[in-house]
Amino acid sequence: MGGGEKPQLIINGKRLDGRMPDELRPIKIEVGTIRNAVGSSYIEWGNNKIIAAVYGPKEALPKHVQDPERAIIKCRYTMAPFSSLEEHGRSGPNRRSTEISKVTKEVFENVIMLEKYPGAEIDIFVEVLQGDGGTRAAGITAASVALAASGIPMTDMPYGVSFGKVGDQVILDLNKIEDNYSDADMPIAISPRTGDILLLQMDGTLTPEDVDLGMHMVRKAGEYITKLQREALKQSYEKISEKYKK
Amino acid sequence: MQRIVVPGEKLSEKQLRIENTITDANGTYSCILGSFDEQTLSLIPLEGLWQPRNGDTIIGIVEEDRGTTVTVNLNAPYKGLIISKFLESEIKAGDIIVSTIKELEKGGTAILIRPKVLGAGKLMSVTPSKIPRIIGKANTMVKQITDGTGTSVVIGLNGLVWLSGGDVDLATAAILKIEEEAHTSGLTERVKELLDNKKMV
Repeated sequence: MGGGEKPQLIINGKRLDGRMPDELRPIKIEVGTIRNAVGSSYIEWGNNKIIAAVYGPKEALPKHVQDPERAIIKCRYTMAPFSSLEEHGRSGPNRRSTEISKVTKEVFENVIMLEKYPGAEIDIFVEVLQGDGGTRAAGITAASVALAASGIPMTDMPYGVSFGKVGDQVILDLNKIEDNYSDADMPIAISPRTGDILLLQMDGTLTPEDVDLGMHMVRKAGEYITKLQREALKQSYEKISEKYKK
Repeated sequence: MQRIVVPGEKLSEKQLRIENTITDANGTYSCILGSFDEQTLSLIPLEGLWQPRNGDTIIGIVEEDRGTTVTVNLNAPYKGLIISKFLESEIKAGDIIVSTIKELEKGGTAILIRPKVLGAGKLMSVTPSKIPRIIGKANTMVKQITDGTGTSVVIGLNGLVWLSGGDVDLATAAILKIEEEAHTSGLTERVKELLDNKKMV
């Protein structure tokens, strides 16, 4: 992607937006953004602004897609037409969004207790309002909060985050410019309880040492993201409890 | 002491058998957003769907009369079905009924018995996991609302509540308050306060 002259992405050990190599962008999560949804959330991850909404479980239609043993998940990731500086913000599904919908669905197939709802379907919508790199990871983080808020039983709340490589420096949480001009990037989703990796994609070339270092950064950042996810969910309930504490 | 827990959060170092949890070698973890009581070791869901059981009282909206059977919308991923020969009175599409689940069939169908048509009134939907709180211990909460407002309240475990007569708006306000504050203690007194204050005005 990109083309033209490659900008210098790391100057004096700091990145273009002033972050250290292992620093996340600021993250803010809200719960209950969409009233009509069973569960919903809104995430601001740096310049990414993403809404996630969950509907269901409800009867899976058309009937031939039903699984008598477990529920099925339908996931739809889209970028709003005004979301991005580049052309891939065309409204409606395209090749890129179909792929991301599929990998997001597969992340949640591993954590949702699907066998509790045979014949049902669970709809997950991830809508990117403003994109600035790392939207699939941020979308997974938001969708997992929305799912927990909907009360659907799940064994864990996964989070997503990416790392990459610029020159010989491994960096965490790439933004749009870093994503376009980096030597490699690797979005990852992890289930924090077991440490299982639920999503792993790679673009570019990394050495095994880079991956070890990157995974270490990701897991460290994951502790912080998990904390934010949990706080967002508990906040609204604890506010009411606090009000009536003696 | 109750605390709010989220999916994947550790509840105990020991392997405990509690509903809506998962255990592994390191301990017990929650699977839902719920309220966990350390003393009684119970995990109550704060959100979520209704899981039908035999004998549940439900409120449904009649969808279609198919001659031999009548289908009922239960506001859930399950369908209600009444076999026409057991109908005591006439039912037509659009009627709101209160009924009991006789048995659950495979494929998400619930066989209903003893349907009774509810007349004019107000139908409201609440989060099904909050219904037990609206009913209260031995019906105390719902009795309080009925006494305080003169409204007759019919509660379906599937998350639908039907109100009729008396001060319906006040009863609605009380139910919405219970739904919002279901996870706090001392709710009965606060609902009593709400009903007493509004009545004077």
